[in-house]
Amino acid sequence: MKKIVGQSREIKKKIDSLEFDVHWYRRVFHTFGATFLVYYILPSDIEWLNLAKFWVPLSIVIFTIILEYLRISRKIDSKHFFGLRMYEKNRAGSYVFFAVGILLLLLLRFPQQIAIPCILCACIADPIMGEVRHRFEKKYVYITGFIVCLFFFMITWYKAAIWLMLLISIVGAAGAVIGEAKKFWWLDDDFMIQMLPAIFLLIIWLSAQYIGIALPEPIIYPW
Amino acid sequence: MNDKAMEYLKNDENKAKILRTELILTPLLVALPVVVSFLFLHHWFENGYSVGNPAFNGELMLAFIILVSNIAFDIPFVKTMIRYRKK
Repeated sequence: MKKIVGQSREIKKKIDSLEFDVHWYRRVFHTFGATFLVYYILPSDIEWLNLAKFWVPLSIVIFTIILEYLRISRKIDSKHFFGLRMYEKNRAGSYVFFAVGILLLLLLRFPQQIAIPCILCACIADPIMGEVRHRFEKKYVYITGFIVCLFFFMITWYKAAIWLMLLISIVGAAGAVIGEAKKFWWLDDDFMIQMLPAIFLLIIWLSAQYIGIALPEPIIYPW
Repeated sequence: MNDKAMEYLKNDENKAKILRTELILTPLLVALPVVVSFLFLHHWFENGYSVGNPAFNGELMLAFIILVSNIAFDIPFVKTMIRYRKK
């Protein structure tokens, strides 16, 4: 009996450590996404590099979609995929939504003043919020998320007039937090946290252009 | 979405595969963000700091954000991986 109890404790320990491991793996995958900002620093006057800038991110996303299609249609077993959540068993994994969000922001030519903070929200604010959720009460998640997202928008818009920077930062951070908070089974928060503030900001951007308000310069210049 | 649904898919059979996936991706996940942040730092230093052009300060801030956030999450990740491998 003692042996069985000991063995079950050992198995539980291993499962717990695995869960902990998976959780950090997902966090690191998120923060890794910020490297895609290198897109803006690459020179734009070299023909082959422009082609690569279009085709490489698109190929990555197409590859992940095909992979997920094969997994959901059970042609590849889910156990080969590391870090999936239970609710992702019968729908596309959140990494696909994450990748599609970044791809749309980069390839649909959203101004980088919009794309950069939205990508940072998904890559950095989201795992920070996840970590706060893991350790503290739920109410702190959205407060922390709002402050972190606000910081990212302020940094990207620091060249704008103060009133515009504040307006953009508050609207953007609120959009990101709403995108993260509102959960749908069929649409992942990794997509919403990027696209919702991006759409809000695009409306402000186009309105400002129409009215004739000076918009700030980009913060990343091509090499 | 209830708390139960937030649990990860667990499977005791594929520990070896899991470990392999992590080992293959770890160098990329850890090293690439550091390389990119140093790229931003270098670009800022060459075109901004050394010629006194403040327009590149945004790249300096982005470099720090990418570097600090990645290191902050890489450390516990690598620690748990080493601990798991020892088991």
